Amino acid sequence: MSLLDATLRAFALLFTGDADLWYIIWVSLKTTVIGLLLAAPPAVLLGYLVAMHRFRGRRIAIWLAQAALSLPTVLIGLLLYLLLSRRGPLGDLQWLFAQPGIVFGQCVVALPVLVAFTLAAVQAVDPRHAETALALGARRRHVMARVLHEARFGVMAAVLSGFGRVISEVGCALMVGGNIEGQTRTITTAIALETSKGEFAQGIALGIVLVTIALAMNGVLMLLQGDAHAVRSRE
Amino acid sequence: MIQTINIQSMLETIPVRTGDERRKALLGVRGIRKRHGERQLLDIELLDISTHGAYVLTGMNGSGKSTLLRVLGGLEGAEIDSLRFEGQDLIAHPYPRAMRAGIVYVHQHPILFSTSVAHNIGYGLALRGVKDEALAREVEAAMAWAGVGHLRDSDPAMLSGGEKQRVALARARILQPKLLLLDEPTANLDGAAREQVMALIPTLVEAGHSVIIACHDRDLIGLPGVQRLKLRDGKLEFR
Repeated sequence: MSLLDATLRAFALLFTGDADLWYIIWVSLKTTVIGLLLAAPPAVLLGYLVAMHRFRGRRIAIWLAQAALSLPTVLIGLLLYLLLSRRGPLGDLQWLFAQPGIVFGQCVVALPVLVAFTLAAVQAVDPRHAETALALGARRRHVMARVLHEARFGVMAAVLSGFGRVISEVGCALMVGGNIEGQTRTITTAIALETSKGEFAQGIALGIVLVTIALAMNGVLMLLQGDAHAVRSRE
Repeated sequence: MIQTINIQSMLETIPVRTGDERRKALLGVRGIRKRHGERQLLDIELLDISTHGAYVLTGMNGSGKSTLLRVLGGLEGAEIDSLRFEGQDLIAHPYPRAMRAGIVYVHQHPILFSTSVAHNIGYGLALRGVKDEALAREVEAAMAWAGVGHLRDSDPAMLSGGEKQRVALARARILQPKLLLLDEPTANLDGAAREQVMALIPTLVEAGHSVIIACHDRDLIGLPGVQRLKLRDGKLEFR
């Protein structure tokens, strides 16, 4: 099959509403969004706390958060596999080769991105914002809300970057999810499998979906950054 | 719009309260010490601030004026032997809630939150639980006082330095603090902007707030009825 034929079949699969294909897309989006929703609150809080407070070991915490950005997701998958396997400490949860396992994996994959990007975004906020809020009577939680509001474009960028990393990773989803058809098959694991079988049409169709998601995410990010740049240029 | 007024006429408007029987001790701090590295930045035996008092704090650049205001405003720590505020002995660390509620520090270059001017001015009151209608009324009054009513919905990033300073003063005044700490409020302002900010300061004292102004501005230092404090080598001199 030529590349052109495969691409035409890919579009046909997408636009004829192929149930298997769209279920894979659904599983990917569902596990990614749930994983992000679970990871974002603690990650943003952690990024904020590390950025705003001086404590022993702070530099090590920043170093670890940044180093974790470059951890291969397949290694994260391996560690989670060992944790979730029947003999592992979390084996009783029975999350291995199930969607909760993928969600767990997505959380762990997203966490460093969210923490590191939030940390950078909060550090970029003028410290006088926190001081001003404090001087006007704000408690700690109010100061945090104020500072995160000022860092909102950076935090949104962190969440979008986390989304991008999670939906496009293959290693962790494959190791923890097991690529089971109709259950844990995600866009990336399906592409890897179909390509290895020489079935390019479905792989290309899923690739088109991934590229579309990536374009949409980056479009949103650019819109947000454009807004932020407009604010900065007026200051 | 706020009226531009003559500096001399403004100087005459500040209330002279020396010997005023209504003046009582507001803040008394004994033994303020702070080091920056090897340097003893502050080594103050006693600082007494009374109610209805206006003070200017002078000293060379780097003498610790801003640091002293920030310590009093609870934005920086320092060694403090004893502390008395509104007749109550307080523990200095952590910064007492009574002082947080009664003292407001205003930065030399005020930061305005990236919301609206009205939201900025109402921020502190909203934190104190003041609800919509009362809040809107107070914010209107504060904006009228500062002459920034026409900027109500403006993006703070678009304001000039003088407008930002007036919004910051309104944001502090609306909280009815016992003591206002103004860090060089007229620095980097000139012409009408400086006069507009200066015109607001006597009205703060008239309204019963005590004010400490760190400054180099001769017109502020020369205000009649104002007590002068000078920081030199970490020590505080009353003049």
